Amino acid sequence: MPQFDISSFPSQIFWLAVVFVVLYILMSKIALPKVGDVLERRHKTIEDNLGKARALKDETDAAIARYEAALAEARNAAHDDIREASEKASAQQAAETAAMARKLSEKTSAAEKRIAQAKTTALGSMSEAAADIARDATAKLIGVKVQSKTAENAVAAVIGE
Amino acid sequence: MAGPLEQFEIKPLADLSVGGFDVSFTNSALWMVIAAVLVTAFMTLSMRRGALVPGRWQGAAEVMYEFVANMLKDNVGTAGRKYFPFVFTLFMFVLFGNLLGMIPHGFAFTSHIIVTFAMALVIFIGVTIIGFARHGTHYFRMFFPEGAPIATAIILIPIEIISYFSRPFSLAIRLFANMTVGHIMLKVIGGFVGLIGIFGVLPFAMLTGITVLEFGIAALQAYVYTILTCIYLHDAIHMH
Repeated sequence: MPQFDISSFPSQIFWLAVVFVVLYILMSKIALPKVGDVLERRHKTIEDNLGKARALKDETDAAIARYEAALAEARNAAHDDIREASEKASAQQAAETAAMARKLSEKTSAAEKRIAQAKTTALGSMSEAAADIARDATAKLIGVKVQSKTAENAVAAVIGE
Repeated sequence: MAGPLEQFEIKPLADLSVGGFDVSFTNSALWMVIAAVLVTAFMTLSMRRGALVPGRWQGAAEVMYEFVANMLKDNVGTAGRKYFPFVFTLFMFVLFGNLLGMIPHGFAFTSHIIVTFAMALVIFIGVTIIGFARHGTHYFRMFFPEGAPIATAIILIPIEIISYFSRPFSLAIRLFANMTVGHIMLKVIGGFVGLIGIFGVLPFAMLTGITVLEFGIAALQAYVYTILTCIYLHDAIHMH
């Protein structure tokens, strides 16, 4: 078996040592640092980008929070305005209602007074007319002239009953 | 017809002698150089642009890097970080050596026990030095685990010593044997294809399957060789 031919051993060991050492130097000094650098750089770039993305996300979150705070504030202010306006409106309405009611009751009482006056006047002229009718009737029926005063009293007595 | 062992023959391509030793540049050395050149080309040309979003070749180079880096991190932890270039070189060299052997007329230098043993011995000696450098004489505790009853020492210590010193052999022989047997099997079954005429389709179909299997073994044995190195490193750094 050629593997056990001792005469070839020195050559194999010699060239193995030479080639392996050269390859080791090429790998450790040139090839591997380059690969390591590239991997490191990629790792760093990814980390940087992740960091940047995280920062941007934080910024966005802060902006959203600010926006929401402003929105809530605006909503509260609007609520206050609406409440104030509606309070003012209802107060005004109450005042106007009260004024209107007062005016109406004044008008009502004035009208009632006028009606009462008219009624008294009407009643007065009616009893006068009734006394005249009664005087005329007694004169025609029994020929007695009744004093107008007496007739009035009699009529008043009858109505008053 | 070439015998099944002929493929393992070491043929000198250029004679060279250093200090009385014959260190001729051989076909084995040539394929080591090819492996080293391919590994270097793969790991440098693909990373030339160093793009943030990798292309196909760069992605492949990064996958190899991270594969070995994770293997080392999972088995040794962060303390193994400084041995990463060595472990990476070892993995790529063995992987490419195994795979280049699958090319017709290629040569698997990992099918020679002296190559796998030389690497295993360097790993074994290196790991032992790291162990003593980190733990001093406490590293002898490797041979008698903490908490074991003292009465078991008489059995445990010899077993631990044998298991410790058999590491380079098991490491070397596992890779060498897997590569050698695989190549012999391919050669023998390949020989049948032409010999038995029309019935050659049967060994040919078998050969196809075994070729796929051998590619898997080439990758798997490179992985096993490397992960055992990582485990030995772990033992040296963290003890048991």
